[in-house]
Order: sequence, then structure tokens, then C-alpha cells
Amino acid sequence: MVDSKKQWKAWLYLSPVIILTLVFTVWPIINTVRIAFLNDYTLMGDAGGMTFSVGVKNFQKVIQYPDFLICLKNTILLTVITVPISTFLALLIAVCLNSIKVLNKLLQTIYFLPYVTNTIAIGMVFATMFSMVGSGFGGADPYISTAGIINNILGVFGIEPVNWVNAGSTYWANMFVMIVYIVWNALPFKILILLGGLQSVNKQYYEAAKVDGTSRVRTFFRITVPMLSPMLAYVIITGFIGGFKEYSSVVGVFGEGMGPAGTEGTLNTMVGFINTNLMGKKPREGIASAGALILFVIIFAVTMLNMYVSKKRVHY
Amino acid sequence: MTNLLSLSSAGAGWLLALMIVCILAEVGVIVWLILRQREEARAKTSGNGVMHERNIENVKKTQKVVKFLVKVLIYLFLVAVAVSVLFPFYWMIISSLKSYNEYALEGEFASRVTPTFFPHKVMWSNYAEAFKTANLGTLFLNTVFVGIVSTILSLVITVLAAFAFARLEFRGKNALFAALLATMMIPGELFTITNYGTVTNILNWGNTYTALIVPFLVSVFYIYLLRQNFMQIPNELYYAAKVDGTSDLKYLWKVMVPLALPTIISITILKMMGSWNSYIWPRLVANDELHQLITNGLRDTDFAVYLADGSRDADKINYPVQMAAVTLVSIPLFLVFIFLRKYIMKGVSRSGLKG
Amino acid sequence: MKVVLQELTKIFPSRTKKGQEVVAVNKFDFEIPDGKLVGLLGPSGCGKSTTLYMICGLQKPSSGKIFFGEDDVTSLAPEYRGVGLVFQNYALYPHMTVKQNILFPLQNFKGADRLSKSEMLERAYNVAKLVQIDELMDRKPNELSGGQQQRVAIARALVKMPRVLLLDEPLSNLDARLRLQTREEIKRIQRETGITTVFVTHDQEEAMSISDIIVVMKLGIVQQIGKPQSVYDDPVNLFVAKFLGTPPINVFQGTVKGGRLYIGEDNVLATPDVEDQEVFVGIRPEGFIYDKNGPLHCNLRNVEVMGRDVSIVSTSDASLNPTIRSIVDADNKIDTENQTVSFSLKPHKVFIFNKETEERIRFGNTASPAEVKE
Repeated sequence: MVDSKKQWKAWLYLSPVIILTLVFTVWPIINTVRIAFLNDYTLMGDAGGMTFSVGVKNFQKVIQYPDFLICLKNTILLTVITVPISTFLALLIAVCLNSIKVLNKLLQTIYFLPYVTNTIAIGMVFATMFSMVGSGFGGADPYISTAGIINNILGVFGIEPVNWVNAGSTYWANMFVMIVYIVWNALPFKILILLGGLQSVNKQYYEAAKVDGTSRVRTFFRITVPMLSPMLAYVIITGFIGGFKEYSSVVGVFGEGMGPAGTEGTLNTMVGFINTNLMGKKPREGIASAGALILFVIIFAVTMLNMYVSKKRVHY
Repeated sequence: MTNLLSLSSAGAGWLLALMIVCILAEVGVIVWLILRQREEARAKTSGNGVMHERNIENVKKTQKVVKFLVKVLIYLFLVAVAVSVLFPFYWMIISSLKSYNEYALEGEFASRVTPTFFPHKVMWSNYAEAFKTANLGTLFLNTVFVGIVSTILSLVITVLAAFAFARLEFRGKNALFAALLATMMIPGELFTITNYGTVTNILNWGNTYTALIVPFLVSVFYIYLLRQNFMQIPNELYYAAKVDGTSDLKYLWKVMVPLALPTIISITILKMMGSWNSYIWPRLVANDELHQLITNGLRDTDFAVYLADGSRDADKINYPVQMAAVTLVSIPLFLVFIFLRKYIMKGVSRSGLKG
Repeated sequence: MKVVLQELTKIFPSRTKKGQEVVAVNKFDFEIPDGKLVGLLGPSGCGKSTTLYMICGLQKPSSGKIFFGEDDVTSLAPEYRGVGLVFQNYALYPHMTVKQNILFPLQNFKGADRLSKSEMLERAYNVAKLVQIDELMDRKPNELSGGQQQRVAIARALVKMPRVLLLDEPLSNLDARLRLQTREEIKRIQRETGITTVFVTHDQEEAMSISDIIVVMKLGIVQQIGKPQSVYDDPVNLFVAKFLGTPPINVFQGTVKGGRLYIGEDNVLATPDVEDQEVFVGIRPEGFIYDKNGPLHCNLRNVEVMGRDVSIVSTSDASLNPTIRSIVDADNKIDTENQTVSFSLKPHKVFIFNKETEERIRFGNTASPAEVKE
């Protein structure tokens, strides 16, 4: 029996959530879909009483933009490169961390540090580490007197200095910096989850494997990885979702120009595309909405694919 | 390139250490591989299909060495990772304490070829300059205000909703909860566009704190988290309270909230950290000087270098001051982390949402 | 392969700084003959599992030595010892099929030990047949019953032809009916393979029924080693006497005076050569003879007829157990009208123990184990 007084109370408690969700979540979903399918929609125009015909012109425009293709390419590249690297590294670190006792807590704390940072702020630190400094820059041989700390370290190993992030740097140099930064940033969460998973694996499986003379490598691939497969799937799926929403890390390193000086926009991402269209001098909400819907479809599809694959692969 | 290799004393120490670590690691791997091969070779000469007939003394010796080497390798790897993780923070702090000339290797430092690993003269004044240039005082206050207000309001809303979903019975409860959970799948960018319009044009909240606070008060994930926690609290407690005539709200406040306190603390910290790190939304709706939040302020500030005559040098960015500002922005997060590590890690391990 | 334990000791450091360290196993000396089935028996915390793990190599002894045959394996890692271990909860890899689980140890062989695929399969199927799970090879562990999982675990341990097979509480996760069946099975498998086998259990009936030799342990110290029947018939101390046997032994307060044993006022037995002292008296349930003129008098409580035998339940002020259980032949007509019941005793079923040390005090015809054993 549900008494009506309780009902009334429940709805009262839920009213803030319901109202806010309706206004800031449900309505935006409907509205975004609506304006994505209104040709040439702009908020200014809408407010000015313009009417728009229904159609897919926004989508056509988005796909025809060279900018959009760059964003799509960057986003996909960053995601498919950083997710495997960070997952594998995190797995390796977690397994090593799980096998030691001394310094365990301290290292665990250190590894988690990048999580509690401001993505933009530390992006700026990465930019300084990779950037070239000093008066020699711009000269005949700009690297002789100045190269920036990362180049100095690489120099010790005999690697020629690279222009990583400054004006005139190459696309792949920029991408390399972004990959390093994104992996650095993504590790803490993955290590935390995988370490938690490892600690919940019954130790007897490892004892059994040890008695059977299983090598470390084989134990890792035949026991640890299958046992961790649910956590790995989780980490990879969230990694993909995060990767497709990459934006502020690029802003951190390169600023809102989304690329080194002189070649702005070369590192723009999908979310960057949406935001650029929203924040520009002439905001184009129609285009942004179409872009957002495309992003949603991609994320949804990739997530579904991931879940499908992991269902086949994840044991349990 | 030769002069790049002739390192300064401080830098040389560091880099040498790094090199030694790498070489040690390499040697370790090689020795390990050789040992493994030897072991297999022995097995070949004595094996008969079962693993009994080994030279036990030899196995014992190699087993000890291998075990030790593996330990060494693991520690080398873990320490190397720790160094890579910490290096940006180290670089941030020492850069923030250098003079511009020392940082950029200009003026009296022009003859150097590598950056110094510790400032010759510690420039605390960079911090004062950063504070002033980036207007950090206002930014801090704005961000803390927005963070505190939105966290408190958000907690109230979350606790009430979680309680309703966990304990009260009403028609459509499960459907409503499922619908809320479903919204978690949609990327936030999809909402931003319309919300931007709603907030600026319809509600006219442009450049107000309200615009920064209200749209993000509901977090389905936190409701979910807290509801799970509430549901673990035995029903009997609720009935006992009802029999004693305790009101729902009093029960919620006196029993449920204290019992779910760890989760509530986790939510509080994550929400505060979220405000501290938010970028896109404040950038869109309230980016004027009065309401600007810390991340936006930091990214927008022009850290200029001034020439002797007081005019600004257009080509240069004053990185030491910028790093000082970045350090100032990062410190509160680190402090929170140091004191509340347990709650943060616990909360994060269940969420995976950053910012 | 015989296994020799020499002064084997395991000390666990205390968990807290000031706490005491725990001696889990104390100077265990034992030679396990080749091809025997040995049961390590004792209450929980007696060090039996620690001993097993030390034999297997998963735990390092604090001192003492372990030999497999002539080889000192004390510091040898488990993978080189050639042991098979069956865990209490089986530790079957949940993501692998039964076949994959059994093949797993074989795939670890390296160098000349390496087997071809067909050899591996042959061995896997042979061992599966031995434990009668060859029908289940493509199932996953969670699709099997507890008993079947147990067999898979044994098969996995046996497939690499270990020198020693170790079983940790092999039956404790099975229900009563399966337990009976499986223990016969373990006995059969051990006979057929002839592998030296050590298993750990807290269930004395289990240990008695299948072991060739049992080792009774208490608080890290070995109490007695011997054939199950001889340990039962000739316990060295009160703990062993109480631990073995169902129904358990009946324990009384007693006194030895002038070469006679008294329980309460009753002069029950001649105990020649025993000094006058207070003692504990243990009497096996089958050591009672229903005898109207018998010297031991108890208060009759109940009579349970169990087919061939009759169990007489009685009480006595001298008894340390709440009730005395005696099992006599069903031919006896028990007079249930009477309040008291009288017994005479079979001297070789009566043990007396020193009241302080609880060590056995031998007397008369029970002086030597050989005599008891016939």
C-alpha cells in the first residue's frame, strides 16, 4: 500500500532534481536535436524572430568543413593512441605496485597526484617543459643555446632537439606532446581501478600458478589479465568516452587557439569544434548542435561496440 | 650539438642519475635473460619429460638471483614512473622561483646552454606578481564562493533525492530513476549548447553567479552513489524511527546522513574539485572580470615581460610568473588531497569522472 | 619419493609491535615414507596447513629442513619442487574450461620437459579418466558441482606427475554425502598413482578412514604419529585420546591408590606399578562391558538401540563429559528400570593420564603398543 501522503512527500523531495533535470537536461536534448535539424539556425536569428526550414543542412555543412575533419581526425587519433598506451602502462604499474610492500603506499599516493590537478594549469606546465626558451630562438641555429628541458634530457641520449610546441612545430611533434600529457593525466584513474581489481583477486590463483611453475609472463597473460578483464573493460570504455571528449588538455598546452602559434586549429578536437562554433563572434548554434549530435552518436556507437566486445571477452 | 652535452653541474647530476638508472635497468634485463637461457639449457640436458630431474643446487642459486633481479627491475620501473609523474610538478615549482633571465637563459645567464635545476636566486616576488597580474585574489574568491554554494545546494538536493529513491515508495519510482540514469550516457557537450541559450537569453543570467551554479546542481551519479549507500542501511532502523514518531527529515538528518558520511564527504570533495577545475561553461556564460573563475582567469591572463623602460615586450611570455600562478592554483588541490586522500580515492574509484 | 622434515619450524612475526610472535609449527621431525597417504590432523590453528605450505614451498620455514628423497628443497621455490597442490576451495581458474585448467600446468614445462600438444592432451585425458571427469572437459568450473570441482582440482595437481601430492582440507567444502564418497575416491586415486600424498584435515574421522599414517598436531607441536588404528588404540596423551574417535572418549577424574584405579568410590581396575596420584581416566565407548556386578556405577539416563549395538547414556559425578556414552553389544538386555547402571571395563580401552602434564601413564598389559595391536 502506497499512502498518498508519502507520495506527495517523495515528489516534494525530488522536485528540485526533476525541475532542474527538465530544464537543463531534458529540454536541451530535445532542443539540440531540434536546432540541429533547422537549416542555418542561429540563436540570434531565433531571438530576432527568424524562421528556419527543417533539413539536414547543418550536418552537410559540418561534414564539408575541412576544420571538422581535422577535429575528427585529431580526436580519433588521440583516443586510439592514448587509450591503449595508458591502459597498458597502468596495468603494468598496478601489477608491479601490487607485488611490492616497501614504499607501496607512498608510490600509490604519488601516482594519484596527477588526478588532483587542474588540467589547464598543468597543461601550461607541460607547454613550458616542451617549449624552447631563450634568446637563441629564431637565430640561425636556434637550438644551440636553448632547447627547453625536455630537449635537454633527450639530448643526453643523443636525440636531436625537436621543436615540440612553438611556432613552426610539426603536427606530429604537437601530437606527441598531447599524447604524453593525456597519458600522464589518464594514468591515476586507471591505476586506481586496476589496483583495486588486483587486490580483489583471490591470492590462491597465484599460489596455484606458482606451484605449477608458471612463468611471470604467462601468469600475467593467462591469469591476471583474464581476472582483471571486467576492470580493464571499464577502464577502456571510460577511456574511450573521455578520449572523444578531449578538449581542455589541448587548451592547457596550446591555449584556445588549439594549436601552435601560426597554425591555430591544427589540434582542435570534436568538443573544441562545438565550442569554437558556440564561442565565436558569430555563434552558430545549428552547426554546434549538429556536431554535438555527431559526437554523441560516435561515443554511443564506440561504447556499444566496446561493450559488445567486452561481453565476448570478459570472463564472468 | 656537442655543447648541449657539456652539462652544467646541477643538471649533470640529475641527468647522470637518470642515465645510470636506465643503464642499470638495461643490464638487469640482459642478465636476467642470460640466466633464463642458462636455466632452460640445463633443463634440456637433464629432462626426461617430467620436471624432476633438475640440478637442484643450480636451480636454487639462479632462483635467488632471478628473484632479486626482478625485484630490482620492478623498483627501478616504479621509481622511474614516480619520477616522471613528479617531474612536471618539480619543474613547475622551480620555474616559478626563477628570474625571467634565468628561466629564459638571457642576460647574465646567456652563456648557459641548459636550464638550471635549482634557481640561483629564489624569486618569491614572482608569486606576488602572479597574484597581482592574474588577479588571483578575485579569482580565488569567486571560485571558492561558487564552489561552496554549489556544493551545499547540490548536497541538499542529492541527499533528498537519494533518500526518496532509497526509502520512500511512490508510483513511477523505478522508471524515474532509470530515466535519470539514462541521462548519464549523454555527453555534457550536448546540453551546453541549449543551456547556453537558456541561461543567457531566456533566464538572462549572463555574467551572474547563478549561471555558474544552478545548471550543475543535479548530478545523477552522486544521487546514484548516495542511494546505494542509503539502501545498505537496514530498513529496521527506519521502522524503529517511525514507531518512535521521528519525522522523515529528522531521521534523514540524524541517522542516514551520519551513517553515509564517508560517501557524502567524497561527494563534497569531488564537487568542490569540479568547481575548481571547470572551464568550458564558465568561459561561456560568465567570463567577465567580476565573475570569472580561476581556470579561465589563469588561461586568459597575459603574463607579460616588461622592458627596462616599463613597456611590455610583445614577443615574450613571463613563464616564471605564469608558473607561480599555476602553482598557486594547484596548491589548494594538493592540500585537499593530502588531508582527504582516502575519501578522494574512494570516491574516484567508484566514479571515474574528472572535473 | 619420501619426504623428510627435520626440526621444521615456522614462526610468524607478531602483527603489532609489542605483540607476541606466533610459533605456528615447532620442530617438526618426520619422515614420510614413499607412496603413503599421510593425514595431518588437528584443530584449527594447530599449524597443519602451515606445514603443508612449507612442504609445498609457498611458505618458507623459519628454521629446519625439508628433503624430497635426498634433495634438500628447503629454500627451493615451489615451481621446482614438483609438487601438486589442491586448495581448500580448489582455486580453479574461473575463466578456463576444465580441459584448459588441467592442461595449464603442462603448458608451463620448458626446455626438454616440453610436451607436444598430443602428449599433453593424452596426459590430460588420462588423468581426467582417473578422477572420472572425462565427460566434463569442456565445462567451466562454475558449471560443476562441488565434488566435480574437487576432482578437477585433483586432476590439475596430478597431471604433471608430481613427486608429492598435497591436499589442503580436501573435503571441507563438500556436503556430508559427497564427503564420504570423495574420501574413498582420494584413497583409490592415491593407491592407483602411488604418489606420496599429504593432506590436512580437522576431521578425525576423515583422517582415520583414509590415511596410512596420521600426524596429530596441537598448537604447532606434533603430538603423535602413527597408523590410525594404533594412534587410536594407544594415544600418548589426553589431547590425542580426546581428539580421535566418535563418539568421543569418556573422561573421568580418577585416583590411583595402592596399585588400584578408583573412579569416585568405585575401584575399577588394577594399575600395577603406577604411583599413587590423581589422574584423568579415558575410557573408549567400546571399553565398557555391561555387567550387573561391574565395579563402575553410573546413573542411567537413556538407552539408544542402534541395530548391532546399544548405546548407553549415563552420568557420573566423576565424569568430565556431561554424559557418558558406552557402546555395548545388542545381545545385552539393559535393565532400564534401574536408576544406576554398572560396568566392568576392558583394560586396554582404559587410559590414564597424568593430571598435570596430561601425558599417558602406562600400566599393566597396555605398557607396550605392540601388545595392543595384536
